[in-house]
Amino acid sequence: MNTPLVSIVTICWNRKADLCESLRRIREVDYPDLEVIVVDNASTDGTPELIATEFPEVRLIRMYKNIGIEAYNIGFQNARGEYIVILDDDSFPQRDAVRRMVAKFERDPQLGVVAFDVRNFYNYDDVKNDAFKETGQAFRGTAATAENYLLAFNGAGAGVRRELLREVGFYPEEFFLYWNEQDTAFRILDRGYKINFFADVVAYHKYSPTNRSSWRAPFYYTRNAFWLIWKNYPLGMALPLTIRLISDCFYFALEQQTLIYLKAMIAAFVNMGRLKGKRKPVTPEIAKNLRIPFNVAFTFYR
Amino acid sequence: MKELLIIRSVSFQQLDRNLVAILERYPEHRISILTHEHGVLLAQKYKGIGHVYVYPYKEGFKFKNKVPAFQDKNFDVVIVPVTNITGAGFFNVLLFSLSLKAAQRVLCNVRSEFKELSGFSLLSLGLKNLGIAVLSYLCTAFLALFVILFLPFKLRKIEKKGES
Repeated sequence: MNTPLVSIVTICWNRKADLCESLRRIREVDYPDLEVIVVDNASTDGTPELIATEFPEVRLIRMYKNIGIEAYNIGFQNARGEYIVILDDDSFPQRDAVRRMVAKFERDPQLGVVAFDVRNFYNYDDVKNDAFKETGQAFRGTAATAENYLLAFNGAGAGVRRELLREVGFYPEEFFLYWNEQDTAFRILDRGYKINFFADVVAYHKYSPTNRSSWRAPFYYTRNAFWLIWKNYPLGMALPLTIRLISDCFYFALEQQTLIYLKAMIAAFVNMGRLKGKRKPVTPEIAKNLRIPFNVAFTFYR
Repeated sequence: MKELLIIRSVSFQQLDRNLVAILERYPEHRISILTHEHGVLLAQKYKGIGHVYVYPYKEGFKFKNKVPAFQDKNFDVVIVPVTNITGAGFFNVLLFSLSLKAAQRVLCNVRSEFKELSGFSLLSLGLKNLGIAVLSYLCTAFLALFVILFLPFKLRKIEKKGES
């Protein structure tokens, strides 16, 4: 099998223990030509110092302040691999995942993104079927697709063609956090590439069993949902979707007795200027078929 | 054997965790799962799952969206996993669970804590949410006027130049 260089890119911000564990697991990945890039978002807990000492093979890029997901773009721009594996700071690919990802890309030139089956690091091995051991044999037809709709991908585990990612302008830095994968997915699909989930390409993620009580998740998910609509949907769909989202903001603000959704909605309108020059509606077919579960924004808080 | 259905309303990452607790709490049950089409292959990877049913719609779970496979099916327990502590934001899934014939409906939260939901508690939650919906529609109607008038103009202003 051809083994082109693959770049693993992740970012971090004050999550030293999780990141170091992920980097140790990445060392176990069975693939001969791998580079690992970590972009540190100005951590103050000693993360960059520890990476420099403990993981000399890692290309560490340090930001002077927390710039959110824009740090990924720095990593993407510095990547030299033909393919990029995108990870969270607390996720890592299963041992064979990169090799399988490359095989899928090499087999299908129209495959833009290999979306990993992202599983819970603490529990997945307890609940998975042994008959589906990652031998590759059980996964002849492994694309987890749907006939009538399209899917985006999960940034805790996804492979993408580097050149394609560059062509679509990387992640939308104005989003800062959340829904960035969906925005990128719109543009990848609009270029005629496919995004497929594969059951035999697994990544592990340290899924937190607690509420996201911080304001960040509900705020950025909600604000960016508006921006996702305005950037990507044709006018005929953008209008009703916007009105529906406004209604949801009021509904869930009342249901959960919080102002955070209304603040996020106001922030979306007030800061709409940040999207200047960035709206490019996708084809109606993609807009209609890409499955975006907007209601996710309202399910983290209480 | 008793029949248990999980409605997959959360990510597989969370379900990996919830499933351990479900298997422990309901050892005498045959467990099935209902998932969107793209989740079928991923759900089949569980050793504890007997049957994977397909929810044949692109959108989220809704009361009006019937699953043909459940027409003559009775479940002893239907479980609705939620991504938070209280189940806020998941009323549509709870309502959907009412469209299934089940003796017991149980909410399983992000910490894998279980809470049985009676028909009465769902009804009172439904009435409360109906009031909220009416209020939110009124607020939205007011804002919608401005959105319809100004959004098309604003969207044109942020359009990428030189693109069709």
